[in-house]
Amino acid sequence: MKRRSLLQLAASGAALSTLPAISRAAGLEELRLDYAYYSPTSLVLRHFGWLEDAFKADGTRVKWVLSAGSNRALEYLNANSIDIGSSAGLAALLAKANGTPIKTPYIYSRPEWTALVVPKNSPIRTLADLKGKKVAATKGTDPYLFLLRSLQSVGLRRGDIEHVALQHADGRAALEQGRVDAWAGLDPHMAAAELEGGARLLYRNVSFNTYGFLNVREDFLAKYPQQTARVIAAYEKARLWTRANPSEAAKILAAEAKVSLPVALLQVKLRSDFSNPQPSNEHLKALQLAAPILREEALVKPGTDLNAAIAGLIDTRFAQPLIARA
Amino acid sequence: MTALLELAIDEKRYGERRILHGFHLRLEAGEIVSLIGASGCGKSSLLSIAAGLDPAYRGSVRLRGGAVRGTHAEIGLIFQEPRLFPWLTVEQNIAFGANGAPDAGRIAALLEEVGLAGYGKSLPKQLSGGQAQRVAIARGLYTQPRVLLLDEPFSAVDAFTRMRLQDLLARVAAQHRLSVLLVTHDIDEALYLSDRIVLMDGVPGPARAEFEVNHERPRERAVLATSRLKPAILDSLHAVHAI
Amino acid sequence: MKPHTIELPLPSTPPRKILLRLPLGLLLPLLAVAGLELGVRSGLVPANLMPAPSEIGSTLLWLAEHGLGAHLAASCLRVAGGFVAGAVLALLLGALVALNARAERLLDPTFQALRAIPSLAWVPLLLLWFGIDETPKLILIAIGAFFPVYMGVVSGIRGVDRKLIEVGQLYRLAPLALARRVMLPAALPAILTGLRNGLSLAWMFMVAAELIAASRGLGYLLSDGRESSRADIMLGAIVLLALLGKLSDTAMGALEGRLLSWRDSYANRGAR
Repeated sequence: MKRRSLLQLAASGAALSTLPAISRAAGLEELRLDYAYYSPTSLVLRHFGWLEDAFKADGTRVKWVLSAGSNRALEYLNANSIDIGSSAGLAALLAKANGTPIKTPYIYSRPEWTALVVPKNSPIRTLADLKGKKVAATKGTDPYLFLLRSLQSVGLRRGDIEHVALQHADGRAALEQGRVDAWAGLDPHMAAAELEGGARLLYRNVSFNTYGFLNVREDFLAKYPQQTARVIAAYEKARLWTRANPSEAAKILAAEAKVSLPVALLQVKLRSDFSNPQPSNEHLKALQLAAPILREEALVKPGTDLNAAIAGLIDTRFAQPLIARA
Repeated sequence: MTALLELAIDEKRYGERRILHGFHLRLEAGEIVSLIGASGCGKSSLLSIAAGLDPAYRGSVRLRGGAVRGTHAEIGLIFQEPRLFPWLTVEQNIAFGANGAPDAGRIAALLEEVGLAGYGKSLPKQLSGGQAQRVAIARGLYTQPRVLLLDEPFSAVDAFTRMRLQDLLARVAAQHRLSVLLVTHDIDEALYLSDRIVLMDGVPGPARAEFEVNHERPRERAVLATSRLKPAILDSLHAVHAI
Repeated sequence: MKPHTIELPLPSTPPRKILLRLPLGLLLPLLAVAGLELGVRSGLVPANLMPAPSEIGSTLLWLAEHGLGAHLAASCLRVAGGFVAGAVLALLLGALVALNARAERLLDPTFQALRAIPSLAWVPLLLLWFGIDETPKLILIAIGAFFPVYMGVVSGIRGVDRKLIEVGQLYRLAPLALARRVMLPAALPAILTGLRNGLSLAWMFMVAAELIAASRGLGYLLSDGRESSRADIMLGAIVLLALLGKLSDTAMGALEGRLLSWRDSYANRGAR
């Protein structure tokens, strides 16, 4: 297993190094992309500086921006503050449907990164118990949409709970201080809440998690396709390395997100799947299943064509030549 | 006979500077006395002390023989500026010193007397300088003082208005049987109004000179213009370097 | 010689022109709206950054049918409650500091230091101490309203013409009566300016409070629009905030005009 991975590493490294020769064409002054604690491979990539190496010959600067959640990443993409950003799939669809000009050529992980969390001794036992309660969730992110879909599964709506808008880390703090009754959590904060705070996961549902989408601005993709390809190739390198060295990757996550190693291991080893980065029908279907919640909770403008948005968002062809077989 | 008002100021200083020193003045009932003198000789300070607004002096103020410290209902003061409260109507300004409900009859009578009948509901901003000063006089009279102190009350208005206001003061003083102590720079005014003119020295000390004005009342300006008092007063003013 | 007379025709009345009397203040906003509408429709202005005014309008109508009233009520009540609390406290403390020298030496330096703390710096502290409910929001708004009113009261009272105070002293007014009958009316212009500024700051601090952790209100809507990439909701909330702020300021201005009609100032120069 180790030797195979080394060979694959070498192969992708070779692929990476040939690309500069092909793409010396359009000059990119600065590559702006994000990194996030919910995307461990972004942290690995940044840690090793593989992007900086890949672009050094062209004199392209690499600028890293921390995204505190899908909502931030998508906001930065919309405002053209970053060219490439990481978000949950359904959140990306929401943004795309509302006009953010992005495309997703790459899936950076299949995580089970969100669930509904309650404090240790909470009297809340079922989803139905959430009615009328205070629930913290970051609007515009997978945990928020997960919350809505979970509520829908027991016939509740957004208005049946009291939603408190807090960013992920603040939501965890609010849960632990007893200021909210429940929290739509996100790893690594969620893992930390479990392991360190004794919080309980009230409701889990893997299929309600909608993948980690690596989004690229449409205009950037059109103008700098080779540079985008190089970024994806670098992400591939990070993905393979992470699969080969999960504990090391967890250490990097722990250091960056300032969480303990067990928490980081929980997220990376047990709750993330890095095996399938190529966008395909699987992802299209997942979004189609999830999309109705956007309309039902009036998160998109009335009359938005969600299927068209899904089709326009996911790019199933761009990254095909770049994905290493592993 | 005890004077109505007796001022005996031993000393008044502003910091290191001495303003008044050993100054005495008596005001008999029904008398109108003018104080003239160089600028800065302490005339305004004297009035402040007499009105009870300035407690920082050595000496005494006596009303009918009894010592007075602080303001007294029977001693009124009219300032150089009208100092009307801009947010109150003329009526409300006049009745400002009232204890309890204002006396509408008295207000109306005073307004009539100062020549502003019908202006009761006006605001100070609608009045000319002369009109405002009339209201100030009405306000000063509302509390029915026995002594009225006036600090250059007509210096801020034009010459014609000044003459009309002087007439008003003379009428009012006679009507209400007031004793008046008037500070002024205008010799003609002093001659027109006063029974006695007191000259203050620039150097702190007792009054430099006193002049009895024996002209008959009602006074006539044309007659006063040729009074022999005027040159005498002017000479004295020269002597104290007032002019 | 007989005077020469000429027969002149009677002047004819000119045709009545029907002029549309619009307040001049509407001109700029209308031009801006028209310009933006054209810009977005023609593609000059990217719609994901700046939705067309017509779209913002239809979003507002949609919101009006889906709970906008609750958001409006929440925000307005917060502003009202926080403003009243902050203003009353400022009136009392400001009067105390202005009238009592010892109170001034004791309290004023602290207040000046607190005044320098910007609104957003208070937010995390209040969240930590008071949580995420109404209390920290009202406190934040009260803080916002406090300082302009405090400054207005202090400078107003300190700036009262000494000559007027002397008149009060001449009439032997007791200190409390002097404060009530002379100082307060004389300081009223500055106090009302302070109240007006305090009100607009209260609106500002309300938005800051709602942006952090709220479940209702215009600030919540603003944040909502941001997180869902709905620029139309964001701008709709901003438009409503501007309107409400302007309305309350106009009301204060009208109150000011009535209470200060006695002022002989440049502003009142027409009225005699």
